[in-house]
Amino acid sequence: MRIVCPFCGERELGEFTYLGDAKPVRPAADAGEDAVYDYVYLRDNIAGVMSENWYHGGGCRAWLKVTRNTLTHEISAVEPAAGAGAAKVGA
Amino acid sequence: MAEFSWDVRSPLDRALLAGPYGAHGDAGVTLTEIRNFDLVQVMARRGKAVDMATVAKTRFGVAAPETPKAVHTADATLIWSGPDQFFILAKNGKHAMDWLVPTFAASGSLSEQSHARALISISGAKARAMLAKLSSIDLHPGAFAVGAAAATSMDHTSVTLWRGNDRDGQAVLNVLVFATFAESLWHTMLDSAAEYGVAIAHSEELT
Ligand SMILES: [Zn+2]
Repeated sequence: MRIVCPFCGERELGEFTYLGDAKPVRPAADAGEDAVYDYVYLRDNIAGVMSENWYHGGGCRAWLKVTRNTLTHEISAVEPAAGAGAAKVGA
Repeated sequence: MAEFSWDVRSPLDRALLAGPYGAHGDAGVTLTEIRNFDLVQVMARRGKAVDMATVAKTRFGVAAPETPKAVHTADATLIWSGPDQFFILAKNGKHAMDWLVPTFAASGSLSEQSHARALISISGAKARAMLAKLSSIDLHPGAFAVGAAAATSMDHTSVTLWRGNDRDGQAVLNVLVFATFAESLWHTMLDSAAEYGVAIAHSEELT
């Protein structure tokens, strides 16, 4: 598997580290215990296309949001995660 | 109070033995460690990338690289190291921290790396063949031209790689590696290059 880093270009898997599901969003401070429990512990186990966080630690050290099919490993999109690169991304 | 006498020396001081290594005959690979350089990493503060680029251009006369490239100025090399960040590689204190801090005070965070990295310059007819064992980057001259750079890994070790100006008609590839990993990568390079014959040296000259 290779990932096309938006900053570095196409690189081998060994340069990247997998973090996991990119979908969960930190709940508001007053969202309640159930919402926090969901955010911290509960994950979908998707057989198909999912959004994932990957870290290009063996390269530019940017966090990436990768859209990947977990059945075929086909990658349909790679974009910088929010905050990766001080200026290139909003947030 | 105890007196400390810091013995400043290269992280490859013990590992590097100047002279021939490996197969006999004409050396296919030349490995030269460059010593005593000034290296500072510049990273844009949040929302300040444009300001950082502006002051860098004013100071160096050329734009700092915004894509994986290395740019030569009259007395420095600017090497891309990630989004909104780059290295300043120079000699003799001309672009040392003391001088850079006022320049980037409002736009960038600086990190002194002069003694945190080792710099290895690789050339020779078999340089690319040897590096193909260590790197997944396509170093064919057509794919990796003079001035191309990459933040990548060799032997699971993060490196900054760039192609300098050709010397004697041959490509020169430069590798910046963390000082504490330098000896390990050096031995890996020697193993990879041994079959081609190696000429080992160290130098004070930036290429
Ligand atoms: Zn990258």
